[in-house]
Amino acid sequence: MASVELQNITKRYKDLTVLDRISLTVAEGETLVLFGPSGAGKTVLLRLICGVVEPEDGRVLIGDEDMTDVEAEDRGVGMAFQNFALFPHMSAFDNIASPLEARKQTRGALKDGVEAVAKLLRIDHVLSHAPRELSNGQKQRTALARALVGSPPILLLDDPLRNVDAKLRFEMRLELPRLLADRNATVIYVTQDYKEAMALGDRIAVMSAGQIEQLGTPAEIYLKPANIEIARLFGDPTINLLDVTVRTGVHGFFAEISGVPLNLPGDVKVRDGQACVLGFRPETVSFVEAGDGHAIPVEIEAETPLNEKTVTLATTANGREILISRPAGTPGPSSGTAHIAIAPDKALLFDRESGERVGASLLSTVAEGEAA
Amino acid sequence: MTMTAAVQQKRRRFKIGKRTLPYLLSLPALLVCIGILIPFFTAVFYSLQRYRLSQPWARQMNWGENYLNFITDSGFWNTLNVSLLYAGLTVVLQLLLGLGIALLLQKRTKVNNFISIMLLMPLMTAPALAALMWKLMTNPGFGILSYLLTLVGVDDFRWAASSDTALFTVILVDTWVYTPFIMILLLAGLRSLPKQPFEAAALDNVPRLQQFWRITLPMLTPYILTATLFRLLESIQQFDIIYAMTQGGPGDTLTVFQVEAYLNFFQSTNVGRSAALLMILWAITFFISNIFIKNWLRLRERARGEA
Amino acid sequence: MEHTSTLEKVLRASALTAVVIFFMFPIFWIILMSFQTNETILRVPPSMIFEPTLSNYRGIITGQLETNAATLEINFMRNLWNSVFLSVSSVAVALALGVPAAYAFARHKFRGSEDIAFTLLSFRFAPPLLVLLPLTLYFQQIGLADTYFGLVWVYQLICLPLILWIVRGYFEDISPDIEYAYRIAGHSWFATFRKIALPLAGPGIAAAGLLAFIFAWNNFIFALVLASADKQPVTVGALAFITASGIQYGQIAAGIVLSVAPTLALALYAQRYLVEGLSLGAVKG
Repeated sequence: MASVELQNITKRYKDLTVLDRISLTVAEGETLVLFGPSGAGKTVLLRLICGVVEPEDGRVLIGDEDMTDVEAEDRGVGMAFQNFALFPHMSAFDNIASPLEARKQTRGALKDGVEAVAKLLRIDHVLSHAPRELSNGQKQRTALARALVGSPPILLLDDPLRNVDAKLRFEMRLELPRLLADRNATVIYVTQDYKEAMALGDRIAVMSAGQIEQLGTPAEIYLKPANIEIARLFGDPTINLLDVTVRTGVHGFFAEISGVPLNLPGDVKVRDGQACVLGFRPETVSFVEAGDGHAIPVEIEAETPLNEKTVTLATTANGREILISRPAGTPGPSSGTAHIAIAPDKALLFDRESGERVGASLLSTVAEGEAA
Repeated sequence: MTMTAAVQQKRRRFKIGKRTLPYLLSLPALLVCIGILIPFFTAVFYSLQRYRLSQPWARQMNWGENYLNFITDSGFWNTLNVSLLYAGLTVVLQLLLGLGIALLLQKRTKVNNFISIMLLMPLMTAPALAALMWKLMTNPGFGILSYLLTLVGVDDFRWAASSDTALFTVILVDTWVYTPFIMILLLAGLRSLPKQPFEAAALDNVPRLQQFWRITLPMLTPYILTATLFRLLESIQQFDIIYAMTQGGPGDTLTVFQVEAYLNFFQSTNVGRSAALLMILWAITFFISNIFIKNWLRLRERARGEA
Repeated sequence: MEHTSTLEKVLRASALTAVVIFFMFPIFWIILMSFQTNETILRVPPSMIFEPTLSNYRGIITGQLETNAATLEINFMRNLWNSVFLSVSSVAVALALGVPAAYAFARHKFRGSEDIAFTLLSFRFAPPLLVLLPLTLYFQQIGLADTYFGLVWVYQLICLPLILWIVRGYFEDISPDIEYAYRIAGHSWFATFRKIALPLAGPGIAAAGLLAFIFAWNNFIFALVLASADKQPVTVGALAFITASGIQYGQIAAGIVLSVAPTLALALYAQRYLVEGLSLGAVKG
């Protein structure tokens, strides 16, 4: 096991800066997920760590050792590529065996090593096949097996589930955390799928345009997103975002939705008249009886039952759309007029101009594991 | 863990060669490059000298005199004239013929594929040997072509032996050898064209001739341009066919650039004039090849993009 | 949606027939001639019906050419051997020099790489005599005149650009990730080049090699300028052959057939790659 540390990494291609002074530390045995839209620089970052791409500036440390100038083959990392990058002229066995072969292991040890990891990933029956004879799922497992077989202390996984079908992706999302935990390796995992990020990461680094926008546990990212963009990227259905203007009242700051005031906690750092965006997740909205002082009247537009929850689309009097999510099977109106309430302690407030979240937190306390 | 220890040991190997590696790999090719650049610059130097192998004592720099002499040198103008005529006629003829054949063979049928492969054979024949083949066929004594002409009443057609028909004869051989080149390139181009515009045109009942002018030809242009420029570059430097067939004769009928330069060097031993002639030819090819390479690169990128 | 009238079909068929006759007849006729004696060749009118003889080939191969007057010794087999030797060694050298360079150009966009690649390409289009004439003088000075070594070196003018540009395209087609994956698995760049890049570009390298062989074989001007009789390949040898007096026409034809046969056979074998090779990798067949 070893930690990975990036210090002030800058990478440019011609005039384009793809990584801008990135610093990041991944602890021994930790699984860090790099999450972000394509073009954010996730893959380049991974390639810098494994040594096939060189930074213009900055240092790469693995296990406290400066690896910036060390060749890829001497860094002791394992990597699985998004496009699998299997060697097309070699059998699945030889593909998986290549890291062991590089260490000049005996034929027997090599065979044992490959077969053990192939069995673990349930591809032991296709080891003699060439890559073109494998299904997509088998290719993906072969690529994963090749990365795992040498038990590298650092494991880099570049969106390994991107190119496999939905069913397999679902299975692997359940299987991978256990697999990675058993390996005892430091894992850096790239994905564009927030659910994968939440399920696998000890911590998540949200990247955008060559920079790390936020680094935190899945719960922190979900409950305290640094800006509107991150709030939008995590969560399904997506977070409700309403434009509001902050006002000062007798009880401190408040924002109005359809004329109903929503009190903001006293420690919020806003000023009277500031243009903001109020964010609240669909599951923090509940249906209430009319007459409650904080009840907002809405018109139900549509109701979509999903597996474990029911999502309702409603509009306020001035036509703003709000998504409401409740556990499947719980009662709720499916049409007509209804009233909703927003849990003020779980709502988020963003500055409209910068997109940044305002104040330390609108929440008094964040319970771990409350997310998702 | 033993493995970690092994890795720790190996890690000390720093990548010293990383930046020099590509240079090392291409160094041999680079040396060949330089080995060829030296004679090139020597040729530039020769072209600025009065230099005859038969009179080595009279060798001296005369700067632009070799070039200046060309202005009043009817031999030079003849060379330029014949070279351009030869290049122009062969390329136009072969382009029209090659395009026609490519259109005939466009459909992927077994017969068409077979014919297109057979047509490669002239192209793969050494041009010098092709010239000899035609020389045998046009022999006044037993040549089959001469015989066929007598059947239609032409008795005195002397092919390459007469200055009236020598140009025609070498162009015929050139066409026989190189038309397949244009054909095969245009055929590949035709077959790689997207189908949708043609299907749309067929649905709209656009006449076939109009389809050709409006869709096929514009889309084929990059291929036509590449093939034409490629041929033009080779044709303006043609040596093998002409030298093997007539050695530039009869008289100076076919003294194109390279033939004239060769004769100047080895027969008149006039190195200076020979080099100056080649420099002018080089200037012409340099101009054409610059245009060519741009087109060629575009086409190459497209082909790689599809892969 | 295609309406092909009978008239069009007939026109197409006759046009194609004319094309095939024009391009195939010379080869066909030379082959016929090579099996004929002087008497049947000189017969008027010429006829396709004759008693075939192998005497022309026998004469060429043994080097004893029987003419009307006497037995002439012409060592045409020597020319054939020169062609084989020059072409094979030129291609071998070009592959040894060109493949690593092609790999460097494809994988590492280093400073000046494009310049070198284009300089090599531009040789393909420069007048060969421009380089050859000064070289004859240099070769005499440094003792390379009329040596196989000197010829093979000059043949790189044809072979190297071809190999470089075609093979480079094949290397570029290999996903860099595949090579990265092998590096990360713990292999050196050289092992990666040998075990990944070379096998994957293998068919392209073979095709480029075959094409370079054909072009080297068909070359005329280099050997004409630089080689004396005992080093000349068939292209130059055949020219001397045809002008030698007293040689039978059938023997000339047999010589031409023997000289052309190898390239035609290779071309048919490698025809799948010809389009790409002839266009220096610009067009894929």
